Amino acid sequence: MIQLSTATPNDGTPVRQHAAPQARLGARGIVKQFGPVEVLRGIDLDLRPGRILTLMGENGAGKSTMFRILAGQLQPSGGELTLNGEPLRLASPHAAHAHGIHLVPQEPMLLPELTVAETMFLGRLPMAGAIFRHVDWKDVRRRAQAVLHMLDLDIDIDRCAKTLSIAQLQLVECAKALLHDCRIILFDEPTSPLTSHEVETLFKIMRHLAADGCTLSFISHRTEEVLEISDDIAVLRDGRLVDSAERGGFDRARLLSTMVGRTLRDIPRREASYTTDETVLEVEGLASEPTFRGIGFQLRRGEVLGLAGLVGAGRTEIAETIFGVRRPTGGSVLLAGETVTGKPCHDLIRKGLVYVPEDRARHGAVLSMTIAQNVTSGLLERVRQSAGLLSDADETRLGATAIRDFRVRCAGLDQPLRELSGGNQQKVVFSKWIATGPRVAILDEPTRGVDVGSKEEIYELIEAMARDGMAVLVISSETEELVRLCDRVLSLYEGELVAELSGAGITPAAVSASYLGRSKVEGAA
Amino acid sequence: MSTVAMPSTRRLVAPRFAMSRELTLVAVTLGLTIVVGLLNHDFVGAQNLRFMLLNSVVLSLVALGQTLVIAMRGIDLSVAPILGLAAMVCGLLAQTHGLSLALALPLALGIGLVLGTVNGLLVATMDIPPIVVTLGTYSLYSGLTFLYSDGTQVDAVPPAFAAFGNGHLLGFLPVPTPVIVLFVVLALCWYVLRHTGFGRAVLAVGNNASAAYAAGLPVTWVRVRVFALSGTLAAFAGLMFLCYTGSATVTAGTGDHIELQSIAVSLIGGTAIAGGRGNLVGTVLGSLFLSVVLTALVFLHVPPIWYSAGEGLMILAAVQAGIGRRGARA
Amino acid sequence: MSALPRIGAHVAADAPTAKRRRRFLGMGGWEFSLLVLLVIVTTGFGLGVPGFFDDLSGFLGMTGNFLPFGIVALGLSLVIFTGGIDLSVGATASLAAVVAAQLWATLGLNIWVAGLLGLVMGGVLGGINAAVIVFLRIEPLIATLATSFIYTSAAVAVAGDSPPSGFPEAFNNLGSGALGLGSFQVPYQLLLFIPLAVLFWLLVGRSAFGRKLVTVGYNSEAARYSGIRVPRVLAAAYIISGMMAALAGLVLSAYYSAARADMGDVLLLTTIAMVVLGGVSIFGGEGSMGGVIIAVLLLGLLRQGMLIAGFSDMVTSMLTGAILIGSIAVRNIFSTRVGGFGKRLLALVRRPAVAVPDTTRHDAP
Repeated sequence: MIQLSTATPNDGTPVRQHAAPQARLGARGIVKQFGPVEVLRGIDLDLRPGRILTLMGENGAGKSTMFRILAGQLQPSGGELTLNGEPLRLASPHAAHAHGIHLVPQEPMLLPELTVAETMFLGRLPMAGAIFRHVDWKDVRRRAQAVLHMLDLDIDIDRCAKTLSIAQLQLVECAKALLHDCRIILFDEPTSPLTSHEVETLFKIMRHLAADGCTLSFISHRTEEVLEISDDIAVLRDGRLVDSAERGGFDRARLLSTMVGRTLRDIPRREASYTTDETVLEVEGLASEPTFRGIGFQLRRGEVLGLAGLVGAGRTEIAETIFGVRRPTGGSVLLAGETVTGKPCHDLIRKGLVYVPEDRARHGAVLSMTIAQNVTSGLLERVRQSAGLLSDADETRLGATAIRDFRVRCAGLDQPLRELSGGNQQKVVFSKWIATGPRVAILDEPTRGVDVGSKEEIYELIEAMARDGMAVLVISSETEELVRLCDRVLSLYEGELVAELSGAGITPAAVSASYLGRSKVEGAA
Repeated sequence: MSTVAMPSTRRLVAPRFAMSRELTLVAVTLGLTIVVGLLNHDFVGAQNLRFMLLNSVVLSLVALGQTLVIAMRGIDLSVAPILGLAAMVCGLLAQTHGLSLALALPLALGIGLVLGTVNGLLVATMDIPPIVVTLGTYSLYSGLTFLYSDGTQVDAVPPAFAAFGNGHLLGFLPVPTPVIVLFVVLALCWYVLRHTGFGRAVLAVGNNASAAYAAGLPVTWVRVRVFALSGTLAAFAGLMFLCYTGSATVTAGTGDHIELQSIAVSLIGGTAIAGGRGNLVGTVLGSLFLSVVLTALVFLHVPPIWYSAGEGLMILAAVQAGIGRRGARA
Repeated sequence: MSALPRIGAHVAADAPTAKRRRRFLGMGGWEFSLLVLLVIVTTGFGLGVPGFFDDLSGFLGMTGNFLPFGIVALGLSLVIFTGGIDLSVGATASLAAVVAAQLWATLGLNIWVAGLLGLVMGGVLGGINAAVIVFLRIEPLIATLATSFIYTSAAVAVAGDSPPSGFPEAFNNLGSGALGLGSFQVPYQLLLFIPLAVLFWLLVGRSAFGRKLVTVGYNSEAARYSGIRVPRVLAAAYIISGMMAALAGLVLSAYYSAARADMGDVLLLTTIAMVVLGGVSIFGGEGSMGGVIIAVLLLGLLRQGMLIAGFSDMVTSMLTGAILIGSIAVRNIFSTRVGGFGKRLLALVRRPAVAVPDTTRHDAP
């Protein structure tokens, strides 16, 4: 918890050098592709001075990407930006700074050994002196102190950044925006680590800035916040702008339904459920403070259980704790009746629990090795010949079967994995784990960064896994995916289970509502 | 979602940590001096104190540059041959052609600047890891020394050089010239690191080069300049070495592995190998500490063969202490 | 061998591809270029430099001058595959050799038994490295730097005032002798190196351990998530590296018929150059043993050729350093980031108003 000083925020502190000149930032038809994946498909935005525009949308809708383009960190694949009507080309973050555009990133920049004050002035230290230019530390400290005071924060500016909590770092990032002569400030989900009191303080500042003539834009998932602070709202879905309105034109219901979009009848549901009665994974009171607590559920053979929630709610951390990569602070995990709490992951793999991480490039696949090598990397013990070498024939057989059954599009078993598309890489990672014949498979964002065609194939694979008697836990940020795959869906909000949906009660609206709007919805069995 | 590996409520206050490292070094050095002095009075005699102080100057100069490189998350193994080359070139020119000290200084600095810049360019523009670059240039620069000296070596230096290396600049003060010079260089380096945009950029790059880039800092340029600075300081140390010892051989610098010693001393002084912070005063204190320890070993009649081992153990202890304070590394 | 569970009702029309477009002996483009270079260098020197290739026996005999480096390179590769580095190889070689020699000289042990104990010593020294890295969690660079100091000291101490020398003829043969095969003389060093090279090649390319090694180097988190016990893999790598260094030290002492504490000093630079030139990424996770073996021959023969041609030792050292830098530079320029070099040079001249793609690895020392 951040200590908040009892002093009221100071209005009118001369923190800024001078009042901000008006800047109207526009975007026309912005398109952004990462390889074959289209993240933004033609976005038009109008950020007007003195107003706060909120971007809303589900995970993966393209909001952060849009901000990064506006801040010069990414180049659009198509479309253009305008500043006060004139075309604007931002070749780098440096250029964006020059135009007074500042992005408060979703995750704070980590410069552990620098002081808070210095972090706030990174790259823009005020200099003094005519002959020997030196850093004007007095100015740095004065302004840093003033702006933190304004934000009602009791953080010692001389402390090293590494001693601060994430919430504190996030607020310092916000404070940075106030320091420099920025006229366009973009806040990418600044409120996620903050409590409601801290959010109020942040909002006071935002209003102050808007009154000053700044152009502000803001990303958030929390509908109450959005309705409170926004002058304009724009909703993104699947890389497109689907709705926008001014203050008063939106209410909670409209927001949710716009974000989620499709009606139930558009999404193909599973034909049948393969859930048996045999409980294969039992989690009780599992906690890893401060990230999550009180997690308990049961997973049965043949069941597909979904875990929904916002990014940062703690879903991956729960999976990592079950898998043994993270230490639990309490609770227990039972695999087929055997207590495995806190056991290391190689133990769990041997006992039949596998985890396919969300960041496949980092955790799941070795891009420098070939397809065949990746497929067999989960079963090296079983592919061995007597001489201790890996059996070529076995490797070939496994690899070929994997490519066939998982329909991996590739040039051959000896192709380096990095040459495959994202979707095919994902399939290879899957095949590696499925080949080990696990009892429980935890899939974290199984179709992230995967093209539409491969997505459907992966869904079919997951269904087949369940049919074969595997218990599957799917962590996903795409509501449609959860609706498509799951027998039951658990919703997580800020580290706690807040809802359980099952059967026909699993609808896109219900799922989103359960963790977006912070309301509890009980589904029909 | 990626978990950020940071402590949530730790209350470590970094400035105090840095202070305690320097104080610890001073305390340990003083303590050791007193203890050995009690065993052997000559140890704390004026002559030996002067010796220990002077003996640490060359290493300190090299290590200052190394500290800056390490603070930027790099490493410079080529400082040893740069030192040797500068010493050899200036020494031979002085010995055979009567090069004056006034000219030797810019010559040495120039040599270091050029060689260091080559290092920096290779690291920054070709994306080759510093350890590989400086390992390669280590052999290249050693070869240059060998080729230039062509079998000869420096046995004598002009009086001006000797005075610079052993004399007293301010006649009435008992402080030898090299110590004053070191003090000035230390002050300059400290000023650059603490108060100039360049110095802060060095630390920013060492902390998080991507963030530094995103903030608009010229990362490539910073990298080149730091290596250039390290080379320049190493060459200056070479000139000092020449003046202090009055000689220079092909193995000057490389024979003692001064590059490894400079790394050791930087680590002992509190600079972390992971970069992000640099303790220049600590480095100089560490060099002095090393000098005292090695001299003490001589006075205590410990066989010289164990000196190396002592250094190795000290490195481990220093790094371990750093880790212990900071907590588990990711 | 358990079969894949039958996933999915569909069975694709095409049968599984049983044919494998395997690269010849696991060699890729880089290794092939090295091989070509090796041929060029050998024929070039053979034709141009008298004395390089007078007869096959002489040519093979030359290998004795550089194979100790090759032995170290084999073991060091394992460490570099994991993303680490072992700066203590030289000191380990010296210490193990000196210890073995003293066991023979002062304790009167049979030279071969002493040699075996020297090998064990090398493994122990490597194990100490591993312990410091894994348990004290100190970076390999620092850890092996520190241990190299300690091992050097120990070597000097054990060697004493008069380092042992004058080993039995049979032992010296290991370093400088040759086996007569018909009319050819094949050096024992070569007979030692070839099976070792094959063994390591198989170990890295075709064994489970080799896969784990590369995975750990590519990303130790990924390795952990795959169920690989990372500390064990690291320990094995460093222990084997230590043993190989010790073996090289023993071979060197056989070659010189003396064991000195500074014998191993020359080893480090050249062996790192051999590994890196061989295509193993200094960051780990990539590369092949075949490339390293070719690089050993390439650098070794290059060096020998230059020495015979009259260049000094120093110059060949310089060349090795230049090759070390050059090989990575060439690799980087031709990698996916073509043009990165030019852009970065521009970045020096112009302030970053140009969007220089920031593809540097920011986290490697």
